[in-house]
Amino acid sequence: MPASSRAWRWGLPLLALGLAGCGYSSPPAGAGHSASVNLSLTTVPTIRSVTVSPAKANFSSCSGGKAQNNTESTSTKLGFPNGQCWVGSLGATFPITITNTGIASQIDVNGASAVPSDDITEWSLCNVGSNPFVACSGRNNDLPGKDQYLVQNFGPYRENDSGLTDNPRCDQEFDRNGRCWAMQGSSETEGIKLTGPYQSSDNSTKWTVTITWTPVP
Amino acid sequence: MHLRLWPLIPVSVLALLAIPATWAQASIGVGIQAGPVLLSGSAHPGGSYALTPVYVVNTGTQPETIALRVERISTGNGMTVPSSWIRATGTAVTLSHNQSARIPLELAVPDTARPGRYFSDVVARGSGAIAAGSANLAVAAATDLEFSVAPGVVSGPWLSLPGWLLPGVVGLLVLAVAAFVIRSSGLRVRVERRSASESGEEQ
Repeated sequence: MPASSRAWRWGLPLLALGLAGCGYSSPPAGAGHSASVNLSLTTVPTIRSVTVSPAKANFSSCSGGKAQNNTESTSTKLGFPNGQCWVGSLGATFPITITNTGIASQIDVNGASAVPSDDITEWSLCNVGSNPFVACSGRNNDLPGKDQYLVQNFGPYRENDSGLTDNPRCDQEFDRNGRCWAMQGSSETEGIKLTGPYQSSDNSTKWTVTITWTPVP
Repeated sequence: MHLRLWPLIPVSVLALLAIPATWAQASIGVGIQAGPVLLSGSAHPGGSYALTPVYVVNTGTQPETIALRVERISTGNGMTVPSSWIRATGTAVTLSHNQSARIPLELAVPDTARPGRYFSDVVARGSGAIAAGSANLAVAAATDLEFSVAPGVVSGPWLSLPGWLLPGVVGLLVLAVAAFVIRSSGLRVRVERRSASESGEEQ
């Protein structure tokens, strides 16, 4: 069989197949115009969020310190050693409202080091109790030592005795059932108790303390 | 004269009532997508990957500047994602009440990364804070970050081919085969040009 004849035998069908593949397909017989219906669907929001709304509140009712050293607290100023100030009052007023505005989540809370206005030497958070995250180094480990401070949040039902940490941890005020789970729309009212250091290395008289609430999966 | 002032009294009372209500409702709030931030497929040591942009929303009444950071908060399985691996490719966004945005993130896996499953949280933190006395009250919201690192270094950029190249090469091959088949079959196409005078003679 001549070479040209073999090429025709195999080449032409291949070429025809290729050309057929490149063509367009006509619509099947009987196919009409397509029709569609637009349907709208609404879903529930899937956002994790929290809102904090304090009523007018201030650190007040400060007490403690040492009068002999002229470092005793005044009503709105923290004294040394280990003065205490309050936002709200234990068992009575809880000016801060935390609301879970997203889907059901665990509500965590954390503090942070107190920052002085000159930004030199911060006070670090410490904890008290049987299993402290960072132990307070003051008297009997029940009070903050030098450049330490203790922040305890409280609500109508319980007080966070051990104190806040730098890392977000379960906000015990939401912990009614052994977990800090909050459904959408649920809220808690809270207050804050701050115990200052035994002694401060920094001479600033203005300090910034930040408390953050976070919903987590 | 006094009679003219009477209509202003109810308006003033309403204004006085409304102002404290606005103050009392002032709030700060931050929201983040509940769904985890994932990477489609596995990452490789030495590779950089764009993660799905993270949805954030200001749920408070005060304007808020929201920034993202990576931090392990929630419980989950896997190695903790080092925060240096994640870069927010955009800057922090400033949002007014109920305004939302998507913040792009990039995952850069170092050459020395251990293969395996990684887990952490993406935390949206608001810069706005309400001062309660000397205490700043702040908000944040977290969602999971999950991905896996597979063994093997990521392919070099010289190996990555543009998407049009492969179909182009296949098309050229098909044309070459067709040309070869036609040539070897002996088919000839002859094109002749005839002048007008030649055409006239024929007539």
